[in-house]
Amino acid sequence: MLKIQEIRELIRLIDQSSIEEFVYEHEGTKVHMKKPSTSVPVETVVKTVAEPTVKIVTPEAPSQAPAQPTAPIAETKQEEQAKQETVNKENLHKITSPMVGTFYTAPSPDAPPYVKVGDKVKKDTIVCIIEAMKLFNEIEAEVNGEIVEILVQNGQLVEYGQPLFLVKPE
Amino acid sequence: MQSETRKKLLELFSEAKGDFISGQKISEILGCSRTAVWKHIEDLRKEGFELEAVRRLGYRIVNTPDKVTANEIQLGLKTETLGRYIHFEEEVTSTQTIAQKLAYEGAKEGTLVVAEQQIAGRGRMARNWFSPKGTGIWMSLILRPPIPPQKAPHLTLLTAVAIAQAIQDVTGLVPDIKWPNDILINGKKCVGILTELQAEPDRIHSVIIGMGINVNQTVEQFPEDIRAIATSLAIEKGEKIKRAELVQEILFKIEMLYRQYLQHGFRPIKLLWEGYAISIGKEITARTLSGTLRGMALGITDEGVLMLEDADGNIHYIHSADIQL
Repeated sequence: MLKIQEIRELIRLIDQSSIEEFVYEHEGTKVHMKKPSTSVPVETVVKTVAEPTVKIVTPEAPSQAPAQPTAPIAETKQEEQAKQETVNKENLHKITSPMVGTFYTAPSPDAPPYVKVGDKVKKDTIVCIIEAMKLFNEIEAEVNGEIVEILVQNGQLVEYGQPLFLVKPE
Repeated sequence: MQSETRKKLLELFSEAKGDFISGQKISEILGCSRTAVWKHIEDLRKEGFELEAVRRLGYRIVNTPDKVTANEIQLGLKTETLGRYIHFEEEVTSTQTIAQKLAYEGAKEGTLVVAEQQIAGRGRMARNWFSPKGTGIWMSLILRPPIPPQKAPHLTLLTAVAIAQAIQDVTGLVPDIKWPNDILINGKKCVGILTELQAEPDRIHSVIIGMGINVNQTVEQFPEDIRAIATSLAIEKGEKIKRAELVQEILFKIEMLYRQYLQHGFRPIKLLWEGYAISIGKEITARTLSGTLRGMALGITDEGVLMLEDADGNIHYIHSADIQL
């Protein structure tokens, strides 16, 4: 089994080389790295048991933001994403997730969503719920304004600090 | 809320541990006349306490009613902070709603909301939690932990361990925990825990732990559609259980584990949790909004997240799901 440090080292070496694709297989562990020429994301897939810090690509994982080839760790990608959005949508308030968990737009699957795009919200308006291990966190808008965009899907796993909504403050 | 005098009186009987206390001593400590003491004793009797009065010896408590008002819970309570403030109501929509309101208004850590009956007890995804009068323990506990919000889910696993330990100590039954915090006995659910967080991005205001425990229901008292999956402690044990005693033990265990957690983190709690875990090392199904996963439950991470390995060897990290064994 590869250690995270070894995977990092591999990424670094491959990144510096002219190798475009790299596959490593050993005792059921498979590492597959692909390095497209421009800004297409690099995907690292690790199968079988891995260190929890290694990003494992599963159908449940959140959609991956473009990242630098040297950044295979989810949190780093998240920060990149956050930075990009600050640049693009400076005037908008971002409602972010205070914890890792599942994002719900409504209190139950049959209920209408707390908010839709175009809805006016107040500071204490509940906009969604984040659940982790049967702990429920009702997220408030934090500002008065209008919901401009909902950045995640109902039922999606969100990371700590991940932007969930864009609000145009009033 | 009960009066201060009543609280003192119960503390006295609590310390006496079933021994007699003279009327003289009671009147001195409470600062009231012997006649007033007699009145307080009569009030306790009306509420179902059995008190013995013997000349020259005084009073002693022979039996407490199977109720879960502040009286019964605080008589013999071993905790320092948890359950020292009790808000009791006969009938509520949900203890969780009341606890949220109290927490918002600044209630102290350890405040407990208890009811004999919930008419709208709720579970995950706004599902109903069946909570009929006088049969179970329906309560919500307010904590104000000095931890970052993203660590708050630890407390849901901690609570499950505390309740499992308390059930084991009070009834002798051996409970199992199904990830993250359902408590089962012989494969049927008897405890549900739902926790709500009030927080700012970097600071927790309160964590409200809602607990629903099926204690003394008979099979017939469960709605037919849940009889196959739900049970009560009395059904499993074959005899009734004194609810107040179980509440006391639960509060005591939560307090111990909570203290340990604040000092040493989640690791020791995780080990205890694993000791009760029924779903680990088995094929399970996890239902989430985004789909159903089947695979081998490998264990939990140091954060309490469930690790599930599917047939292709992919590991899925599950933060929220309904688990089917």
